[in-house]
Amino acid sequence: MRIVPLALASIALIAAAAAGAAVTKVSGAKAAQVMHERHEGMENIGKAFKALHREFDASSPFVPTVRSSATQIANLSKSASGWFPAGTGPDAGKTGAKPEIWQNQQDFAAKLSAFQKAALVFNSAASGSDMSAAKARYADLGGTCKACHDKYRTEMHH
Amino acid sequence: MPRQVPDGDAPLSAPEGPKQPVWDLPVRLVHWLLACLITFSWWSVHNHHTDWHIWSGCAILTLLIFRLLWGFVGSSTARFSSFVRGPRVLAEYLRGSWSGIGHTPLGALSVLALFGALAVQVSLGLISEDEDGLYTGPLYRLVSTDTSDKARDLHELWFNVILGLVILHLAAIIFYRLRGRKLTKPMITGRAAIEPGSQPMRPGKWWAAIICLAIGIGVTRWIIAGAPPFSP
Repeated sequence: MRIVPLALASIALIAAAAAGAAVTKVSGAKAAQVMHERHEGMENIGKAFKALHREFDASSPFVPTVRSSATQIANLSKSASGWFPAGTGPDAGKTGAKPEIWQNQQDFAAKLSAFQKAALVFNSAASGSDMSAAKARYADLGGTCKACHDKYRTEMHH
Repeated sequence: MPRQVPDGDAPLSAPEGPKQPVWDLPVRLVHWLLACLITFSWWSVHNHHTDWHIWSGCAILTLLIFRLLWGFVGSSTARFSSFVRGPRVLAEYLRGSWSGIGHTPLGALSVLALFGALAVQVSLGLISEDEDGLYTGPLYRLVSTDTSDKARDLHELWFNVILGLVILHLAAIIFYRLRGRKLTKPMITGRAAIEPGSQPMRPGKWWAAIICLAIGIGVTRWIIAGAPPFSP
């Protein structure tokens, strides 16, 4: 059967493409810079998400806060593609990123991409007027954070 | 002369004679449920089940409220008035000239410290939120995001205090066991042989326990609802 090796080759190709940014290994100052940027970025996503949590918990969410937080997360999620090059794991310094990220690159890339998609979907829902629909998309987004963090983030101690 | 062991902690198995009630059922249930829930709280939060962790904390809150009330209307050994004592009685106990059932003056300090530490822990948990903004304690809206974050950090640190007290508690049980005093079984069965002349336990009223529990559940539900009308 010729189809099998062909299929395997395409899977490998897709996997390599999905792994994307993780292929190029970084070190030294570059690694430190990426890790810093990643930390700040994640923290800002967290802050925006906390603000959203409070708004959606309120009887009527304050729409401008919902929209600005949604946009901020959508923008940061795009940068996240460059946050996990090989060489930025725990060997390179203090980080919550587990080495498993670079051992399961395909799965990690899928989870990262699910997060990025959910961030865009939520952002467009938030720009509309139906805040209960936006809240549902926000919950989906939170699910993508958790799916990745449960598997690929260690418990951080500040 | 053999070493004198202070006569004290209720669960005396050393004295001969028929076993008498020393711990009532609510005290024993609270004790073992707390042991399970503290373990479960620790396990769940370290295994990505923050939602279970929060429910477990709410259950601990109910037990704390119940136990606080039962400390005023429960059986004789459950009441604070029977085991919260001054330094003079503690000194008597340490010299070996104290006898009675229920918590010893020294054990009582451990009980109060544990309940106090748990109350602090639950309070911190109520206003905490997790790092990602996914999970929040029921009263997080009473404080700012910064305060919630700090409360979470303290909540994590404070666990070490609870852990220390639990280790001390277990060490004390082993310490007494090595001296022939078995404390665990009476905490299960509620009965132990007591010193002749000691006052046996006076039980509490079952309906008083029901009322304490109802209040505990009621207050917990009110807190889970965000403590209206105080939440914004």
